Amino acid sequence: MIVDAILSPEFLNATLRATTPILFATLAAAVAAKCGIINMALEGIMLFSALFGVLFSAMFQSGILGLLATMVMGGLIGLLLAFFVLKLKTDEILAAIAINLIANGATILILLMLSGDRGVSSSVKSVPLPRISIPVIENIPYLGAVISNQNVLTYVSLIMVVVVHIFLYKMPLGLRIRAVGENKNAAESVGISSKKIQYIALVISGVLASMGGFFLSGGYMTYFTTGMTAGRGFIALAASFMGGNTPVGGFSVSLLFGASSALSNILQLGNWPYEIIQMLPYITTIIGLAIYSYVRMKKRQKLSDRG
Amino acid sequence: MKKIFALLLVVVMIFSMTACGQSGETKAEYNAALLLNGNLGDKSFFDSANQGLEKLKAELGADKFDFKVEQMGAKPEDEPKWEPTLLEYCDKKEYDVIIVGTWQMYDALAKASKEFPDQKFIFFDETFDFSSGEHKNIYNVLYKQNEVSFLVGAAAALMTTDGSLPMIDPSDSNIGFLGGMENPIINDFLVGYIQGAKEVNPDVKVKIAYVGDFWDSAKGKDLALTQYQSGGVDIGYNVAGAAGLGQIEAAADANKYAFGVDSDQAALLPEMAEFIPTSALKNVGNSIIRAIKLDLEGKLEYGVAESLGFSEGGVEIVKDAHYEKMVPEAIRTQLDELEQKIISGEIVVDTALGKSTEEIQAIKDSVQ
Repeated sequence: MIVDAILSPEFLNATLRATTPILFATLAAAVAAKCGIINMALEGIMLFSALFGVLFSAMFQSGILGLLATMVMGGLIGLLLAFFVLKLKTDEILAAIAINLIANGATILILLMLSGDRGVSSSVKSVPLPRISIPVIENIPYLGAVISNQNVLTYVSLIMVVVVHIFLYKMPLGLRIRAVGENKNAAESVGISSKKIQYIALVISGVLASMGGFFLSGGYMTYFTTGMTAGRGFIALAASFMGGNTPVGGFSVSLLFGASSALSNILQLGNWPYEIIQMLPYITTIIGLAIYSYVRMKKRQKLSDRG
Repeated sequence: MKKIFALLLVVVMIFSMTACGQSGETKAEYNAALLLNGNLGDKSFFDSANQGLEKLKAELGADKFDFKVEQMGAKPEDEPKWEPTLLEYCDKKEYDVIIVGTWQMYDALAKASKEFPDQKFIFFDETFDFSSGEHKNIYNVLYKQNEVSFLVGAAAALMTTDGSLPMIDPSDSNIGFLGGMENPIINDFLVGYIQGAKEVNPDVKVKIAYVGDFWDSAKGKDLALTQYQSGGVDIGYNVAGAAGLGQIEAAADANKYAFGVDSDQAALLPEMAEFIPTSALKNVGNSIIRAIKLDLEGKLEYGVAESLGFSEGGVEIVKDAHYEKMVPEAIRTQLDELEQKIISGEIVVDTALGKSTEEIQAIKDSVQ
């Protein structure tokens, strides 16, 4: 049963679904890290976005408008973080912790005030984003079941990998972000306002994270439940670091993490101690990283031997 | 600005004083106060407690029994007033018994019970620790989740082989269980569920999954979807708090069934009601009626904890029109019979409380 389950298209389908929220947040972490700031507030931004995604989409009665409004809000939280860190000179970690803690309490409070329930937003009639089937591909036997019929945001997240990559490496603003992150003084010496760049990077980071949060309650699930981000923001932060803070590297690690999450879900069909199974995503990711760094180290050694 | 602020403060103080002064005079022979750390309308414990008291009042008559409900609110800004309100009610010495519940009221109750040793309390839905030897004035009522889960397990096992149901594949007899974490309470649900399922179908297989916490609803959904899509499960039972709501979404996605828990989840999620045959409930109202009746006879023992099952009316499954629509009559009759057997003592439902990990594992292994 377990082997069948792993070979079934549902496994890869579930992998992509589990990857999506983490991927958005990983990209958000990468953009912030490239400009030299650790955005640890991802978790809080996602949690706020998961709640407000439901509220906004219910308000506009449209998933797309709800998403756009949530992205604006995510950008504003990013801006708030930047204001704390850059203007008020708070420690970036402390400011982020503050945002995460506020998110925990405030989401419950707001949920209670607007829906009369502290656990679930089911009384708010929100509009989740639809799943779409892709013509032609949906008819290909195995591949169709994997790729087609995913949520719109899953496709968007994959596209965003390319977009963020191009943005960071092919566009002037991306170059500036990287320059500020590498060496602030050098960047300023050629007339780049490092603060302005960092403000922009954190706003972009907030927008990306908010898309991940929106997906949780408006795609993955169709309502908000308290604390539903469940540490995905922190996992994404780690995934981004493991992927060398590049969009493509972060994507690989998120995908690995998503695949091992889906695998651990399947393994629970067997009768093994679930505590061990639940460590699987983390263990796989660490082992994957260890192999990757080992291979890279070897390569470098070879190069330096030649030199 | 300052003046306006001061004026506001004065107004607030006057209002709160009059609010205190409003305390009703108690006329009946026996008076109860129900202090809710929340509001009525929760479709769960609080509503149930209130309905129980109303029922009792109607039964005994207002001159014999009366009660007052104080809704203290559940918002974060309300929390600081829970303890003072409780102490204030104790201080009035007007009530024969004060009823509070849930773990959030634990500390306040422990304090009040020490300060007012002559005041009697009923405490529901959380185990009170009597080991200190104090708190002889608290009656602690708990609910037998294993008994109600037994009935849910039986219902699941009966439904999963019933081909007349629209979303059932009768060829196999797999049922699902989604727990939050592996702990004694969740295991107690599981042990009852497994026993109930095996009672009606010895060959039943139970797919068991744990989310790892009580809030990751997306993971709960994925786990349940895996059970439905790859595990051959047609019907599941969620005992995972908010994370368990993921199972109901999964059921809606996969066109399968899921049983609710703790509140009538078919009423909580009306759009997904067609996937929720019934929910397992703790009947707080009944347990309070029972306690007060015993107290009126002078038979209620304080200073101990008591677990109520079907025979005391402490637990139930929702049996409304929705249940009758979703569950075939033959199955309903069988469930009623099983319930009667539990009440009569013919069936003794096993409990996970006090069992070792190996014993629990053996129970799980028996349905793989």
